[in-house]
Amino acid sequence: MGRLLLALIVTLLWLPSVAAAEVAVQAYLLPAGGGPHDVAVGADGIVWYTAQRGGQLGRLDPISGKVDLISLGPTAAPHGVIIGPDGAPWVTEGGTNSIVRVDPRTREVKHWALPESRGYVNLNTATFDKRGRIWFTGQNGVYGRLDPATGAMQVWDAPRGRGAYGITTTPEGEVYYASLAGSHIARVDLDTGAATVIEPPTKDQGARRVWSDSRGRIWVSEWNSGNVSRYDPRTKTWKTWKLPGDRPRTYAVYVDERDKVWLSEWSANAMVRFDPETETFEAFPSDRPGANVRQILGRPGEVWAPESGADRLVVYRMK
Amino acid sequence: MALLAGGAVALAGLSPLRADSARGQRLFQRCFACHSVVAGEDKLPGPSLRGVMGRRAGTLPGFRFSPALSAAGARGLVWTRESLDAYLTDPERFIPGTEMGLPGLRESDDRRDVIDFLERRKP
Repeated sequence: MGRLLLALIVTLLWLPSVAAAEVAVQAYLLPAGGGPHDVAVGADGIVWYTAQRGGQLGRLDPISGKVDLISLGPTAAPHGVIIGPDGAPWVTEGGTNSIVRVDPRTREVKHWALPESRGYVNLNTATFDKRGRIWFTGQNGVYGRLDPATGAMQVWDAPRGRGAYGITTTPEGEVYYASLAGSHIARVDLDTGAATVIEPPTKDQGARRVWSDSRGRIWVSEWNSGNVSRYDPRTKTWKTWKLPGDRPRTYAVYVDERDKVWLSEWSANAMVRFDPETETFEAFPSDRPGANVRQILGRPGEVWAPESGADRLVVYRMK
Repeated sequence: MALLAGGAVALAGLSPLRADSARGQRLFQRCFACHSVVAGEDKLPGPSLRGVMGRRAGTLPGFRFSPALSAAGARGLVWTRESLDAYLTDPERFIPGTEMGLPGLRESDDRRDVIDFLERRKP
């Protein structure tokens, strides 16, 4: 029994370092002062990021390390970027209050402005549904939908006002968003546009971002509580885990193709990978102070994290 | 614009023109997602800015500030027209490590009008 216990202890101590050894970390320094906010990597490996402070969309070729900057206009302050079904980067452009598409080949910038009657909405993040329409959140209390094929745009008032932040699409095509100020998540009816509020079990948790796993379960990064939680739409149940450390601050969440959950934890200045099967966390601290990773996104084998406080993009490659 | 020793701030080139109060309120929409100037609205991602003028940075009771902002207040930073102008120009440069997501208001008139709006919101 004693030998078994000893073997178990050794295994538990060894596993985290084995897991961490399976991940290769590489950092790319970006032009200074851009303040990279969100990142998206296409199937071709090209990485796009929003240089929010510079009003530009950045393009990184990870093989050469070359960075190009594309101006989105003199008043631009882009927040989110995703890769659309057309392979182009699509941007929630906060400065001009518009949804923007940048042609990856010609670099042409196309704007779809929100209705003037809406005023400034503080555009946050976007996601495509399976019908080719792009859904977006506005932190001042709206969410909306643009059909790029027709140019038709609709904007709705978010239930409970300001806060709409991260947004995601499940494998079945359902769309969910998080409300940071409202401390809830919501499911959007793709036909009517109506949003149904879903309350996480922790009050005032500060649901900031959401991401779906392969089973359509919604993972939530909780900024105020320092938790990561998971909502299962099939059973309508929640499960919650507190991140390790002293008063964690969970900002971003992303679920990779192996259903491992990646989080950015600001108190520890670390990326954290959570394994739902073993319910264990492993941390990858940044080597720069105040990295402040505000979003995470990847493609099979790679997880990208923009360090807004260090003007870097960091990639975690699974070996 | 840099935070100097003891919290003193290099003076900003503030426009002498009279501020547009309605414009200041419109510009506050840039801050609205996280901040309020309404009494009792204090469960937002950012601290209430009601009565912010003259407040030492990072000291509003009941709000959890970033270590960077708390440290700035401990070093003597007080929110004045000048320090707010510096902060709103480039928050990350003025207080490295700030959690505030606003990338900055590039136009001095914009900053002036927002600051005027905040100055009128007393507790």
